[in-house]
Amino acid sequence: MGESILQIHHLSKSFGSNLVLRDIDFTVDKGDVISIIGASGSGKSTLLRCINLLETPSSGEILYHGKNVLARGTNPAAYRAHVGMVFQSFNLFNNMTVLENCVIGQVRVLKRDRETARQHALDYLERVGMAPYVNARPRQISGGQKQRVAIARAMAMDPEVLLFDEPTSALDPEMVGEVLNVMRRLAGSGMTMLVVTHEMAFARDVSRRVVYMNDGVICEQGSPEQLFGEPQRPETREFLSRFRG
Amino acid sequence: MNKFAQLGADIARLWGKYGAAYLSGIENTLILALVGTVIGCLIGFVCGVLNTIPYTKNDHPVKRFVLKLVRVIIRIYVEVFRGTPMVLQAVFLYYGLPYFTNNSVKFTSVWAAAIVVVSINTGAYMAESVRGGIISVDPGQTEGAKAIGMTHVQTMTSVILPQALRNIMPQIGNNFIINVKDTSVMFIIGFPDFFAAHRAAVGASYLYFPSASVEMIGYLTMTLLASFLLRWVEKKMDGSSSYELVQGDQLTMTAGTYSFPDRRSPFDERNPEGEKSVQRESLRRQIEREEAIRQGQRAEQRRDNGLNTQQRGEN
Repeated sequence: MGESILQIHHLSKSFGSNLVLRDIDFTVDKGDVISIIGASGSGKSTLLRCINLLETPSSGEILYHGKNVLARGTNPAAYRAHVGMVFQSFNLFNNMTVLENCVIGQVRVLKRDRETARQHALDYLERVGMAPYVNARPRQISGGQKQRVAIARAMAMDPEVLLFDEPTSALDPEMVGEVLNVMRRLAGSGMTMLVVTHEMAFARDVSRRVVYMNDGVICEQGSPEQLFGEPQRPETREFLSRFRG
Repeated sequence: MNKFAQLGADIARLWGKYGAAYLSGIENTLILALVGTVIGCLIGFVCGVLNTIPYTKNDHPVKRFVLKLVRVIIRIYVEVFRGTPMVLQAVFLYYGLPYFTNNSVKFTSVWAAAIVVVSINTGAYMAESVRGGIISVDPGQTEGAKAIGMTHVQTMTSVILPQALRNIMPQIGNNFIINVKDTSVMFIIGFPDFFAAHRAAVGASYLYFPSASVEMIGYLTMTLLASFLLRWVEKKMDGSSSYELVQGDQLTMTAGTYSFPDRRSPFDERNPEGEKSVQRESLRRQIEREEAIRQGQRAEQRRDNGLNTQQRGEN
């Protein structure tokens, strides 16, 4: 495995007196495709939001190429430009077309010129199959299409790692497939991905590493074969048995 | 019937004699209302943006102090200018300044004084509207912008303000219409608006009621036109609810897309189900917008609450 992009040490997060994440240690290497699974409320999404600094961790450190991004004086915006995020609720900009959604960040944050940014955006929109919809507004397209645009928007920024926060949970069942297909292809292309998901098939088939979180701690992690095949911890076994039905 | 004929004749006589004065009054009123509303909106936007700059406990104490101070100053500005009549503000500014400074500071032009008064008055109302418009934009929009590395300023100018502007368009229209009517108090400092034309005409002709009728008709015409124009602008801003597919390359058209029978795919004719869902969507958006406006008004009533919620949201 290549160099590590993110190293997380002793990360904790509490909302008031409610401790949501406890002492998380965790590394993301280049080319990793990691699925984070676990019951609702186990802290998966909070961990992802902490990594992207949308939530400020209570303690611990997040090293990005060895530099602590939680230290005073680091610019969270500059860091976030390298760490893309795809949300459960898409969060496409409602005042822009599909194409503008993918262009605006490149122009304003990366300072690319408009034409380069447009070509780049079109390239990614084509890859997610949304090229015919470049002039549509977010309210005019379906959930699955919105999520594919959101992925293209994140990818157009050429991030080093892409975080997915339950990207298919808000979708109708018929649209889950199209988004997972895009993500599968992305993983195949060597993109570093961190995916919070309830799609066990995706976690098992696509990811290189699966992390099971329970009650704010990383309970167990390993290769998909290991974790799904012979889970070591009773909590993991119980959680997975619910999916086998 | 006789009375109406009489009134009509009097109005015609008045218009014949003072028509030019009425028309120039209308012109001045519209210019003052428009300029005042535009500058007032700019003031409102600046205040609204300053009011919603987030700060957390981890920020530098100086930054926190400055931001809090700014909020207090804006609060005082809003309370004072929203809580006093515009006619008195005009008097205080136009006559009060020279009185207190022994004539060294004063408005040389009645136009400047009138525009300043109307602008800061409108600004006080708009500051709260803009704040309401900003906090009614889905927080997910801010997160989406942050996630691609935008700074607070970039998020505001590219994503939040354009949407907030759409949300508060009805209030901007309200303020413009209110300004058209309320600039009539500017006769107090000798501003030559439409109402001043009435006072001049009455002073010379003693046709009090017919002139008041001219005013009524004139003001109503101006406000109705304004309403109509504003509706049109709002419609323009919303754009059409359908869109054109870009059909450049036939192969890319289907790449990765799935066909949903109840939606318009690239190959479907407009089918009725798709049309219905578009209608439902636009209805839903309208309800959301009205809700946002109501929220803005509620926020005005419970400013303290609003401020608290906002701070909690940042933590």
